Amino acid sequence: MNEAQVGRMRFRIDLSQPLYEQVLDQIRSSIAKGEIDLGEKIPSVRELAQALKINPNTVMRAYQELERDGLTETRRGQGTFITTKAEQVQTIRQNLAEKAIEEFLNKMNSLGYHLPDIQALIEEKGGSRR
Amino acid sequence: MNNQVIECQHIVKKYGSKFALNDFTVSIPAGKVTGILGPNGAGKSTFFRMVMGLVRPEQGHMQVLGSRPGWQTNKDIAYLPDRARWYADHTVEKAMQWAENLLPGFNRERAEKLADFMDLDRSMKVAGMSLGQEARLMLLICIARDVPMILLDEPFSGIDIVSRERIIGTLIDNISETEQTILLSTHEIDEAESLFDHVVFMENGQVRLTGEAETLRAEHGSMETLYRKLYR
Repeated sequence: MNEAQVGRMRFRIDLSQPLYEQVLDQIRSSIAKGEIDLGEKIPSVRELAQALKINPNTVMRAYQELERDGLTETRRGQGTFITTKAEQVQTIRQNLAEKAIEEFLNKMNSLGYHLPDIQALIEEKGGSRR
Repeated sequence: MNNQVIECQHIVKKYGSKFALNDFTVSIPAGKVTGILGPNGAGKSTFFRMVMGLVRPEQGHMQVLGSRPGWQTNKDIAYLPDRARWYADHTVEKAMQWAENLLPGFNRERAEKLADFMDLDRSMKVAGMSLGQEARLMLLICIARDVPMILLDEPFSGIDIVSRERIIGTLIDNISETEQTILLSTHEIDEAESLFDHVVFMENGQVRLTGEAETLRAEHGSMETLYRKLYR
């Protein structure tokens, strides 16, 4: 397990999982959580590769996917920036939230809980969280 | 150009009665970092020497950058042998001059930058160098060349962790700046594996397993775990 703080982003790289997915997921969630601001510059491919001690091709692949998703934009000669469109970030947040719910529901189902019980449990437990 | 820089088909090479390569068939992709992994005696260094035309196959075919390996292809390859030695009276400065005069594609400007990055004092003599300093100098001479392919045979062996990290950092910069193909053999898999695009696991002169590092990671976990699984 390799940990690094790069600018305001924290990374944990686990060599037993595909590296490109980890880089992608961790940047995506940094954006969704607001750890990096809209329009903020992110490290260059080379800087991130150096900080994480990984192949720049791997970082490049993750950056290309972020750009395809509309989460980042590359400005010629200036670098890569987080999108300035709040709705893009909102979409990603929503996707991550849905994914988290799905994982949670699957786990509850595997424990034998179904929606009404789960809702009741959330009410009961969640009350103290609010 | 073909997107394989090395093609080997059914190569056999014996030293006495011992097979160094035995029906060895492999393709190495262009522009990628390929890890050549395997226990001692697997045939890794013989493979590298054969790419350089220093050893000839007894049977089978090998193509390097589209031709038979030899002096014509060697000008396009920077090779770090597993048992390299320098002239003991050379300084870092003198070694760089020597390389500039002798090695095709040697980029003096890049060599200077690398020397700074690797913290090598120009006036230091090879005879007085630590193993780590010498390894950094050899690597510098190798990767300062503007050539399509670099072969690094055990660049980390016997080298302290700080030098190793500098070497890895240097390779990362090199990969981001150039389109070079890099072949790297090592026993320090845990430290080098995050650099690999592609890996070839060798055993007894043959390919045991080969593939994209990311795909193998998804299936088997880290390259180190996979190595243990394969050679236990």
